[in-house]
Amino acid sequence: MTNYPNFQYSRDRETFSAAKVKALESLLIEKGVITGKTVDTVLKYFETEMGPFNGAKLVARAWVDPEFKKRLVADCNAACKELDFPAGMSGAEGEHMRIVENTPKIHNVIVCTLCSCYPWPTLGLPPYWFKDPTFRARVVREPRVVLSEFGMKLDNSVEVRVWDSSAQIRWWVLPMRPAGTEGMSEKELAALLTPEAMMGVATVQVKPRT
Amino acid sequence: MKLQHHLGGLEGLDRITPQIKVFVEPWEKRIFGIHTAMMALSNHLPSSLPAYDIKSVPTTFKSFWTWGHLRMGAEAMHPFEYFRLRYYEKWLGGISGFFVSEGYITQEELDTRTAEFLANSEKAKAPLPKSGKPEIDKQVVKYLREGDSPMRKISAPPKFALGSKVKIKEVNSAEHSRLPGNLMGKVATVVRVYDNGFAYFFPTADGIGEPMPVYSLAFDSKELWAESITEPNMIYYNDIFEVYIEAI
Repeated sequence: MTNYPNFQYSRDRETFSAAKVKALESLLIEKGVITGKTVDTVLKYFETEMGPFNGAKLVARAWVDPEFKKRLVADCNAACKELDFPAGMSGAEGEHMRIVENTPKIHNVIVCTLCSCYPWPTLGLPPYWFKDPTFRARVVREPRVVLSEFGMKLDNSVEVRVWDSSAQIRWWVLPMRPAGTEGMSEKELAALLTPEAMMGVATVQVKPRT
Repeated sequence: MKLQHHLGGLEGLDRITPQIKVFVEPWEKRIFGIHTAMMALSNHLPSSLPAYDIKSVPTTFKSFWTWGHLRMGAEAMHPFEYFRLRYYEKWLGGISGFFVSEGYITQEELDTRTAEFLANSEKAKAPLPKSGKPEIDKQVVKYLREGDSPMRKISAPPKFALGSKVKIKEVNSAEHSRLPGNLMGKVATVVRVYDNGFAYFFPTADGIGEPMPVYSLAFDSKELWAESITEPNMIYYNDIFEVYIEAI
């Protein structure tokens, strides 16, 4: 996060924000703008219906089924219909999604330099690093340096493609299937995926089987 | 020329220590929920593709609110504040200011209620009443499920062909833009012409608004930055509205 040490912050920064947002929410409920359940309804939606667990299912299916992978890359929204998802895979912030495939020769990473556009139906809500102005500014100019700060090494022989999201298309990444996952079920494969891997700032790690 | 439109490539910034949490403080979840509800209740939604029947939703929210409005608020900030304040701090400032300027609450009401919660930690911890009309929450979930696609059929064909070399125009980004400023004057290749046209939530000074073609453009890294500060074997792609593009 951008925590430039020379900025002055109040010691009670978080307490103040918490009080202010509670004041706002309570007033909005009293004035009939929202209900006392509205905010929790939104939050629950992203815990249970829209989250990276959706994207993980799609990637796992693409790994085991090469024809599905082709369909997913060609038309993400259409491919979503093939799996048993809750309603809304083409809903808010997912009306137009595209996925790009990582290969040994090409590495893709996603950014939104202007704000934080993110594919909600497949990946849920963006992590703080994606929303950070420092990431947004630097990854478009020096992606390999930025990726090394995420713990990922990529030399110049791998082509890096940085996909920015200034219009309405929401991008995400189909990471490479790691070695050591042969014979795993789709469910086991899906459990390996992280939001970081599905936005191109991490590779998929295989935990050693005990 | 605003910093917020020109972040791309900025030098002198810190090393990144990745924070993978979506929310770093519990309070941030609340402003996120409020913003999402505002978008789901916005007065423009009858003209969306799902043609939401907003007029029958029993909310007192009668305003126009979209991602465009939230972004515009962030772009209006003093550039130093933009970096000083964390992501959801910017949202809280912009959205509470909106509710005051639109007349739903007064600044005094907000300040007094905030002070009450600061002074009384029991009150601050107590849950808010679960009252209100359930139709409001039904609409919020409906919006999350059905979205608000900006794609519309257009009659005019795209101006630029797949594979052609194009140049980004110099435009006045003004209050709100969807063109990263560092792309102005740069040359790119059209790698995809998206079907149909894309509208924007409201017209901007630099020309987006009415449905128009959008293109996936590929820029070589050396086109955008001096070789010594960028990397080889790297391509930058972005989806750019037609009005931002000109022929070479």
